[in-house]
Amino acid sequence: MALNFKQESFRDDYTYKNSPEAIKRFPFPFPEDQYMYSVNIEPHTKGKPGSVYEFPFDIDEHYVAECHDRAITLAEDAGRYQALPHMMDAQWDFLELAMESLSSDYPEHFTLTKNGSIWTWENKPLGIHDTFTFGDSTTLPREPFDYMGRQVQGDFVLLDQRDETLYADAGMVTCQADWSLAFNVGMSWREWHGPVPKATELGVMDRALKYLMNLQLANPVRRLNWTMTVNPRLDTSPENYPHWGGDRNKVNADNVSELIHLRVELQSLFRLPRSNGIVFSIRCYLMSLKDIATYPRWAKRLHRVQKTMHPDLIEYKGMTKFHPLVVEWLSQFDDGADIGVGTQPE
Amino acid sequence: MERGYWIKSKPIYTSLVWHEKATSHLVLASGIGGMAALKLFQQMHPAQPVTVLYARYAQMEVDYSETLKKVVPDNLHVFKFEEDLLTELKSIMPHMRMGLRIYVAGSEGFIWDVAKAVKPFGVDDAHIMKEQTDTLARNVYCVHCKAVTKSVTTNIVACCGCERMLFVRDHFSRNLGAYMGLMVDAESPGELPAIEEIYP
Repeated sequence: MALNFKQESFRDDYTYKNSPEAIKRFPFPFPEDQYMYSVNIEPHTKGKPGSVYEFPFDIDEHYVAECHDRAITLAEDAGRYQALPHMMDAQWDFLELAMESLSSDYPEHFTLTKNGSIWTWENKPLGIHDTFTFGDSTTLPREPFDYMGRQVQGDFVLLDQRDETLYADAGMVTCQADWSLAFNVGMSWREWHGPVPKATELGVMDRALKYLMNLQLANPVRRLNWTMTVNPRLDTSPENYPHWGGDRNKVNADNVSELIHLRVELQSLFRLPRSNGIVFSIRCYLMSLKDIATYPRWAKRLHRVQKTMHPDLIEYKGMTKFHPLVVEWLSQFDDGADIGVGTQPE
Repeated sequence: MERGYWIKSKPIYTSLVWHEKATSHLVLASGIGGMAALKLFQQMHPAQPVTVLYARYAQMEVDYSETLKKVVPDNLHVFKFEEDLLTELKSIMPHMRMGLRIYVAGSEGFIWDVAKAVKPFGVDDAHIMKEQTDTLARNVYCVHCKAVTKSVTTNIVACCGCERMLFVRDHFSRNLGAYMGLMVDAESPGELPAIEEIYP
């Protein structure tokens, strides 16, 4: 089925909107009434048709607008793309995985033709048509990861596995929840997760690392993470914090349901064949409280989860200023009924 | 500070100890870090070749060069400033062999300047022994304009690049050799917490 790509913005006038279909397939992250960090990793297997888990890389109605927003961010700050020199094999691995997935899962929008090592890539929504030699960077307009990272929704980090840990040695990061690639590039797993409260004490990070070090080719895994963002802004980077930080003061009881967006990251990890590295894909979904509340079950669940949230997590996720308003607004939907376990909307 | 507070990216520095299995040793010290080099020679005089590079002037003006001359058998090179030492380090690294062990003592800024200088020669910082002496002053990377403000002793500092007031986080990047600085008053312009010297 062909997708209708929207013209919309994730900055300035914020014209981003979700269609009813997009709301229904939103990866709501709370199966239970309480939330705490856990190693909630599961196999990234094929989900139901139309769901965000149907394909390894989910392309949706926001694809063109997101790629456009990414291009703006990269043009303003080249540091949002980083690749240490030893990551070139992993760059080609990434390009291959993304091109093969997109062309086989969305054939009406993307085609890949191989003639030996001569590959032709066509991306119809973005109007890209290039022929290049696989393995030869000089035949592409940019480095392979830079070239292809711009054509897939979500942020990407390429992890190098050595010395019994994973290093974040390359990345394209333009829709991040307040972490800096330029600062983190080259960091080991433990260093990079250093500032996450509670998680270290719970042993979550060490267990997740152990799990990922054993990740097998063709058996990707996924988990959901979440935070809340004022406005549908993809670029909530520390780099541009002076531009968006002040938005937190604009939230009030009247506008909270439109300004506050639940920001869900579908994080998936794929082992790479040549480099033995790992692609860490962080696909961001933004949904306003108002849109979430079109499904009363989600509104009830979100109310309960937020009401019982640990203060350290509220602070870490940068929600301190507006969090009471969120809980108050959601409370109108919560009749206290038992809604069982599960993330389904109805 | 809250009990149990610890950000894992912040490096832990120890006292220098000789690696007995090295094939040669390279000791780099600056200012009061000269004492850490002297202490190494209190442990033993290694059988393998030792090279010592020492810069006399660091943050604190404490000069151990005369004592070092008496203790270091040969291959002691004394410089006035850290910059001169780093230039010499880069010129001798191509002549170093497998099995070399590197020891560095000085301010945190000096330690990571050394790590950066030897990295192109395939030396990972995990294999450099580091002792922090002299000062707790921090290099602070401005996440907004990317400038590094050197030798910061306070919790909040004006960025040398964009002049924004930066809060100095405990989050450290080995790649940049600096702590993260994040604009402190973005959400409430002009409202600054008390500025205190906490990294003397």
